[in-house]
Amino acid sequence: MPKLRIEAEVNGRKVDRETEPHKRLLDFLRDDLNLTGTKEGCGAGECGTCSVFVDGKLVKSCLMPAGKANGAKIETIEGLAKPGDLTPVQRAFHKTGASQCGYCIPGMVMAATSALRENPQADIEEIKERLGGNICRCTGYTKIFEAVEIAKGVIAGTVPETALEEDMVDDSFIGANVRRLDAPSKVSGRLKYAADMKLPDMLQMQVLRSPHAHARILSIDTSEAEAMDGVACVITAQDVPGTDGFGVFVHDQPIMARDKVRHVGEAVAAVAAEDLVTARRALSKIKVEYEELPGLFDPGEAMAPGAPVIHDYAQDNLIKHIPVRKGDVAAGFAEADLILEDDFSTQQVEHAYLEPEAGVAYVDPDDVVVVISPSQNISHHRHMLAEIIAKPINKVRFIMSPVGGGFGGKEDMIYQGMLALAAMKTHRPVQLNFTREESLIASAKRHPSRVHYRMGLKWDGRITAIEFDMLSDGGAFGMSSEGVMRKAAILSCGPYEVHNLKVDTRVVYTNNTPSGAFRTFGGMQAQFATESMMDMAAEALDMDPFEIRRVNMMKVGAKTHTQQTLETASLDRVLDAAEQASRWEKGAPRVRGATRKDLNGPDTRQPCTLGARIKKASKDSDESERVA
Amino acid sequence: MMTNRMKRGRGMAASWYGIARTATIDRAGAWAELDDGGTGKVVTGVTEIGEGILTVLAQVAAEEMGIRPEDVTIGDNDTSRAPEAAHAGATRQTYMIGNSVALAAREARNALFEEIADHWDVPVESLRAFNGELWAEDTNLRMTMEDAVATCKGRGVVPVGSASFTAHGTGLDPVDGSGSPWQAYVFGTQVAEVEVDTWTGEVQVLGIWAAHDVGRAINPRGVEGQIEGGVVQGLGQALMEEYTTEKGHAITHGFAKYILPTSLDIPQINCSIVEDPDPKSPLRAKGIGEPALVPTAPAIMNAIYDAIGVRIKSLPATPEKILEALRNHVPGREQIAQSARLERAEAARHQSAKA
Amino acid sequence: MLTYDAYHMPTSLEEALTLWANAAEGSRLVSGATDILPWAREGRAGDVHLPEMVDVTRIPDLDGYAFEKGRIRLGANTVYQDFLTDVTLMRSLPCMPYCAIWFADDQIREQASLAGNLVNASPVADGTPAVVALNGEIELARLDGGQIVRRRVPVVDFITGPGRTQIAEDEIATAVIVDACNGFGGSFQKVGQRRSLVISVACCAALVKTDRDGRVFEDVRLSLGGVGPSPIRMIEAENTLRGERISHGLIEQVAQTAADRVGSRSRQDYRREVVVNFIRAALEDALADQPDIDVKFEDQEEQINA
Repeated sequence: MPKLRIEAEVNGRKVDRETEPHKRLLDFLRDDLNLTGTKEGCGAGECGTCSVFVDGKLVKSCLMPAGKANGAKIETIEGLAKPGDLTPVQRAFHKTGASQCGYCIPGMVMAATSALRENPQADIEEIKERLGGNICRCTGYTKIFEAVEIAKGVIAGTVPETALEEDMVDDSFIGANVRRLDAPSKVSGRLKYAADMKLPDMLQMQVLRSPHAHARILSIDTSEAEAMDGVACVITAQDVPGTDGFGVFVHDQPIMARDKVRHVGEAVAAVAAEDLVTARRALSKIKVEYEELPGLFDPGEAMAPGAPVIHDYAQDNLIKHIPVRKGDVAAGFAEADLILEDDFSTQQVEHAYLEPEAGVAYVDPDDVVVVISPSQNISHHRHMLAEIIAKPINKVRFIMSPVGGGFGGKEDMIYQGMLALAAMKTHRPVQLNFTREESLIASAKRHPSRVHYRMGLKWDGRITAIEFDMLSDGGAFGMSSEGVMRKAAILSCGPYEVHNLKVDTRVVYTNNTPSGAFRTFGGMQAQFATESMMDMAAEALDMDPFEIRRVNMMKVGAKTHTQQTLETASLDRVLDAAEQASRWEKGAPRVRGATRKDLNGPDTRQPCTLGARIKKASKDSDESERVA
Repeated sequence: MMTNRMKRGRGMAASWYGIARTATIDRAGAWAELDDGGTGKVVTGVTEIGEGILTVLAQVAAEEMGIRPEDVTIGDNDTSRAPEAAHAGATRQTYMIGNSVALAAREARNALFEEIADHWDVPVESLRAFNGELWAEDTNLRMTMEDAVATCKGRGVVPVGSASFTAHGTGLDPVDGSGSPWQAYVFGTQVAEVEVDTWTGEVQVLGIWAAHDVGRAINPRGVEGQIEGGVVQGLGQALMEEYTTEKGHAITHGFAKYILPTSLDIPQINCSIVEDPDPKSPLRAKGIGEPALVPTAPAIMNAIYDAIGVRIKSLPATPEKILEALRNHVPGREQIAQSARLERAEAARHQSAKA
Repeated sequence: MLTYDAYHMPTSLEEALTLWANAAEGSRLVSGATDILPWAREGRAGDVHLPEMVDVTRIPDLDGYAFEKGRIRLGANTVYQDFLTDVTLMRSLPCMPYCAIWFADDQIREQASLAGNLVNASPVADGTPAVVALNGEIELARLDGGQIVRRRVPVVDFITGPGRTQIAEDEIATAVIVDACNGFGGSFQKVGQRRSLVISVACCAALVKTDRDGRVFEDVRLSLGGVGPSPIRMIEAENTLRGERISHGLIEQVAQTAADRVGSRSRQDYRREVVVNFIRAALEDALADQPDIDVKFEDQEEQINA
């Protein structure tokens, strides 16, 4: 293949390299120059983890062919400050806690730097616009805005440099705003995530994924792929030496599809090759014969007689049913003055951590299989992998690499097993970096839910009974479904003491993308329904929404829905705190937005109207013309 | 003739949550050492996923050992080199690992205190250490932690500690679900203020007031960071995010289709940290990671209702869904139903008053 | 994943046209490359291998802009960010800054060219309705017997369907020619679930000029994108408004006619409702954007006087 020559200035140093013509600037920086502070989060220009300066303009390096770098001046996160030093922007990020997982942070620091270079006087609305191409999933952006404003002041000289320093500590480190110890490594791009790691002689893995939602695998022919130059190995379920199967509660998921596929994107085979392009080409040489099976996509149909069966062990497709019973529901409803009944649903949600799944595995000199990955549950993963590869537990070692966002989505061992198998088969280090698209279809999501709700109340607002029935779509594998249903059931009726309740949460298999652990673990789906019902009840009873909650809230000594006696309870305090902080105008929730007086306070932002800089630009030019 | 295009409203929602693993016993282990130079070494099984637990652990270890957080080195996240601390999730890091590190660090410090007390000939109870200094109360005896460690080692003792912390949740009864799933609970309340564009269906969240009990805020700024991040994930789920498949095939196959909140979608987030200390753990802290996002979506939906009188019961409330709801909305329908309810309420009150 | 065997960066139009004429079948022209790289990914085109890429951004002929008889010739290397930074362009093309601010984000705007956006002919391309409102033409060049031959095609005719244009195999887009609309107010409407990196189901561009008193529509340009296979210029609506006294009632009446222009079958109720509101908002925003003129709505004055 002809090479592409790139002569450029990168972080103030001349670079003259030959590389593959198809590389993106991102690849050139990361692979050829080892500047891994620039990250790949989506590969499609949608996230900003790869932002770099090219000839002074900030661009997304995943959208730029490397050829465009020829003759250009490139500045990356590593070049902003001298080694070991930090710029005011970076120091401000450190100060305010603007980095959490840190994966978006190099790009975010670049965007903030660009914003202040383009317009050192930019107001906060313009700063927000200029950060608009960089997604952060952890921080909620608030501490980032604070950091950019501090940096802006320090750079302009209107804020003393001491503003960048750590707050003083009095007589205890507990309760002190100690700066994050890991922030300097994150704001400078120095921290190596799994995809940034390079080991000598390392192979690249790519995964062949199912194009079908439900199909029997009749045959897999890997011979052509295996024969390719540069391919070190191809693995399938046949390569599993031990007892295949992983999962958080039920081990129903094989390392790679065994006999059948249950969702689009399920791993079927994997290739480890000398480079990424070879590995991808080899995938297209693997021949898989499928026999398509009827698919099950609606959780409402999963338990109907005759529905397709996803796993043989669960003929009714039920993964788990959690019942909670307390008191006498019939009596509770009989006692009610008002009964409300309604349905709620929530969608399937992606964790969207900015770091796609990535990992490295190798076999160490003592025959220990080592897997390095951003796993949220290395303890459990080593148990499961030891069974799967039939090794004693001390011959399996999991190392948790820096996690570029998890939110529950990195609790499932969906790729570490493949890495281990390939490392064992080749005795070479193997790396697998998911693309964003792969991460979306292969990793678990937040359970979509449907809730049918009945609530009985007295005129004074007291809840007399609740019937809560939730159905969730678990998708193709069990993953954390059982636990999610349990937590949803326990928390279902909210922080209210309800004497009579009947709660059922069920989760079923379908051929949809699996659902799993996701921040709140079923808690938000359940309480979305409850808190909507509480608002509707408050309206119906002409009560203030805080008041109806106070009438029902759990206090010390209250019995929870699972009949645990609470020894502490703070709902009264948080209700008071939120009511006071928000300057809440009391009243029933009866569409009173048009008349309420507590809106548009100093503790709100103004609505975003794009283009603040447009009017300003034409105004400024008017002034400059008048001066001229 | 002109109806107001932009409509504002407010809503609120409350929430609760359990700390650490659900309906089971939970455990975490840690090792600690007071090291040369008055530094600290802590080893534990699982730590940072972005929430800031490394810094929290350094604060906790420093406080217990009498040194500074920046002097603490944490070795972690390796199943072959660190004691088990289970997993990074379930709002358990500060509670489980924080307490286990606190106890391990305390043990290491006590080992050092025993030696120094003997060396100074003072009761061990009189020793205090903070910020790199060690002293005996009501005396002039004082030394740096660097010297203290050297003295301790000179006496042949390496000051180490180890600990395991347990949270006693119990399983649920399979029939009625009864049980004590957690030993610590937290509560939260959020208020949302929104503006709805009735021409496009677009909703902008302008303010969130988030009050959360965290037990004890080890690092208040870190707690705010968790609340802000949780609120924005809740906002994303409320208004824009929706992973969609058609016969199992993803339609939202990338970030161009799977829509996430950006810097322009962020309300002013006003945090109120409430501290109701946990009586069952040495640190008295509870947690905030997950609970922060529970009330956000319902608070926003309740605010949308306040603004335009339509209740979105199926998330997310996209512009398309809002416009559709407005199109099918019969103005005053809720009010008519409401006045009927109120009449019945009044009649019932009247009756019960008579009785 | 996009792979290719060669990446060319010609430095003259002639060199580019020659390379392009001789490029292997399946080769591609690129400008900003911000569309092609996301296209060659899973869920869309998947892995794509192309023989050659010919990058036009180093061709000086395609840089900059020039005024010509009430029109502006924007070189094909004009990127979206230029409409937010070049004050002359902002004034002469009043709908373009608003179009640009809704387009992707600051970083992509630095790369993405207006001409490239038109040539890609996505039905939801932001640039198309704005350029159509500006009576835009696209300039195409090719080699004919060693000579560079150029032609101009109105953008409204150039785009014939999703991804389909009148560009010939051997042609390169060299410029976009638009009306200079100094003194007009401009606006651009779009909606999504968020405010950055928005992909809208529909969009709308408007240009408005009133009399000095701000009472009468002197000139109006309205166009819609995302409602059918190609952009729509709202000629009838423009004619209805031109010369009329400005009022909210008239705007609303004209806006209603937009609903029937929605050809796309998917999400039709939503599109029909949104485009009506877009026309209203576009006209009102453009009226407010007119420099130094305070617009007086007839029905508002009546209300005040009554």
